[in-house]
Amino acid sequence: MQKELLSRRAFFNSLKDATGKSVILLSMPALLHACRESRQARLAGEDFQTITEEEAIEFDAITARIIPTTETAGAREAGVVFFMDAVLGDSREEQHAILKDGLRELQSAAVQEFDVAYFHLLDARQQDQLIESISDTSFFFTLRYLTIAGMFSLPEYGGNRDFVGYDVIGYQNRGAWTQPYSFYDADFTERGE
Amino acid sequence: MAQASNPAVSFDTREEVDFVVVGSGAAGGIMAKELAAAGHSVVVLEQGPHLQAVDFKHDEWGYQHNNDLVWSTRHGNRQTFRRNENEEATLQESVLGYAHNVGGSSVHFSGNFWRFRPIDFMEASVRGTIAGTNFADWPISYEDLEPYYTKVDWEIGVSGLQGPWDPPRSRDYPCPPMPIKGSDVLLERAAKQMGLTSYPAPVAILSQPHNGRPACIHCGFCNGYGCEVNAKSSSMVTMIPLALATGTCELRTMATVSQINTGESGRVTEVVYFDENGTEQAQRTRAAVLCANGAETPRLLLMSANSMFPDGLANASGFVGQNLMFNGYSSVVGLFDEPVNAWKSVPTTRVVHDFYELDESLGFYGGGGIDGRHPTAGTPLGFALSAPDMFGSPSWGAEFKENLAFQFSHCAAFDGHSTSLPLATNNVTLDPNYQDDFGRPAIRCTYSDHPDDLATMEWFLNKTVELMEVAGANSINGFYPETGQTGNVHLLGTCRMGDDPMTSVINSDHRAHDVPNLFMCDGSSLVTGGRGQPTMTIMALAFRAADRINQLAQRNEI
Repeated sequence: MQKELLSRRAFFNSLKDATGKSVILLSMPALLHACRESRQARLAGEDFQTITEEEAIEFDAITARIIPTTETAGAREAGVVFFMDAVLGDSREEQHAILKDGLRELQSAAVQEFDVAYFHLLDARQQDQLIESISDTSFFFTLRYLTIAGMFSLPEYGGNRDFVGYDVIGYQNRGAWTQPYSFYDADFTERGE
Repeated sequence: MAQASNPAVSFDTREEVDFVVVGSGAAGGIMAKELAAAGHSVVVLEQGPHLQAVDFKHDEWGYQHNNDLVWSTRHGNRQTFRRNENEEATLQESVLGYAHNVGGSSVHFSGNFWRFRPIDFMEASVRGTIAGTNFADWPISYEDLEPYYTKVDWEIGVSGLQGPWDPPRSRDYPCPPMPIKGSDVLLERAAKQMGLTSYPAPVAILSQPHNGRPACIHCGFCNGYGCEVNAKSSSMVTMIPLALATGTCELRTMATVSQINTGESGRVTEVVYFDENGTEQAQRTRAAVLCANGAETPRLLLMSANSMFPDGLANASGFVGQNLMFNGYSSVVGLFDEPVNAWKSVPTTRVVHDFYELDESLGFYGGGGIDGRHPTAGTPLGFALSAPDMFGSPSWGAEFKENLAFQFSHCAAFDGHSTSLPLATNNVTLDPNYQDDFGRPAIRCTYSDHPDDLATMEWFLNKTVELMEVAGANSINGFYPETGQTGNVHLLGTCRMGDDPMTSVINSDHRAHDVPNLFMCDGSSLVTGGRGQPTMTIMALAFRAADRINQLAQRNEI
């Protein structure tokens, strides 16, 4: 995987003889192409309405560390990034701006710390290290909020696909329940209290 | 979204009707039904849509985070907040919470349905006044209101069982209590060990079919949600259908009232509102009854200032908007070895009322009740957001996720609900800098809890920690708003009832002291705030007020 990495520093270094902003802008598709080549660029080509493809790939990677895939589904399987795309487009420009700014800073930190341009190209240990370093920022609070919201909202908002979020915590979205609800009320009834 | 049709009757705005009722919530629905059933022509103006059971879902994002029911700043219902009059109020997403739909907050409230007790109506006399507050007796007693509490029990539908501390009642509950939940088993057992008495909590949710409506199916989505089977006894499903069935009541939805106009005689002549298209209309009427809630009713009176009423309609006392009371609260959470599953069924099934009046020797005024619940009303999203703070666990990563899987089903909360003192400095006024989407001044809330209210909350927190320890919980943690509340859904006291026109807005008939054909009935009418769960008292007041208004109308005295 490391062989496929294209660090932002390396990328800009490759442009050191170039002058002018347009060159960099024209080069972005090439950069994204490199991302698509990576194993983690599985979101390339998805039709996002609010966030950019780059944001989608990066947010997907961050949210997958906030609620990782373990024996049970994580943010990635729940489709959290699709939830984010949907709700950020619903009068949440302020939150989107926080995420955009925060992502730029996070990517800068990735370059500084690991000489890698994109968060999603780091390994899990490096990703967790970076998240830890930003865990008291509004960027992280916003991202954590949307990750959890995407994990536990109704699937109609784009996340919690097949209710995998509910499965993680043992919540069943049933319309009706009857006693016993739990160990304690069953015990209460059994003892005739 | 379903929109109810109202084919029975339609009034022309230039036709003078007997009553315009503003708001169709806990009080407005009852008022509309009672006035129309007496043969009066009634137009109900409701600023929200007419949702139906089929519209409601277990939609935590929509209701709790997108504010689809309560609206908020993001829905154009802007509100500002400040601690005191020396601060500049700032725009908040939500400060004073209430639902915008037919049935108002009776649609999405928890259903907890305590009656006030005799002491609540005469506490200032018994306990003594409290310097710096407007703590006062009511002009009516529990005995005056008891027949109407019972009317609510049977006409609305309440489930419960008379407890040892409950006030006297003239008739049993129509429905038996809800089956006990695991969280309340833990509360009840701990209470017994501490020599306290836990007993079934009264709820405005049907435990068995009643008045043609079905019993609760215990889905767990009461607090903040509309009931999907009509088992919750909201105005929407109990009173509004009866009001419309009279054939003399017209319900206009998406009708946002902006002003009450008065004529040269100082009497109400018409109610001005924006219709669903945003077009300004004015309904002529012989009388108006404001049931818009403790935030909207004073706002409307203040917005209706004119040359004859320069400080706002019915505001000669200066008390319109003042004495805002929230009720205090505290909560302690804990984890248990076995699943509690408090996320199932109604919010609470047991209550401890041993501390309704705290001992005066504590050095502060207060009292309240305790019940058992799920810490976040049983909802997964809210729980996942707050669990790390509650239990001191990681807020992200594999351990966070692993903990959630255990915590969600193994937790319980014991909550305190307590008194709020009425203060002139806690109020609803018109914000000079912000407007809503209709150009109406935004509601500005100024609020700081009285030190006694904070002390009471802390006392209940400590008592519930003790209960949680006796219950055998691990990872116990508790909180109360020790720096003061910054908003609430209990909106009480802002047009208080009283005999003295200088210190109250309405008399005991709910008639404005200053305007003979204007009445107010909702949370704003309360003189004191009880110990929480005010909706039962608001509904009882509405039945009583309607009775009084009908009598006045019959005697041609309006």
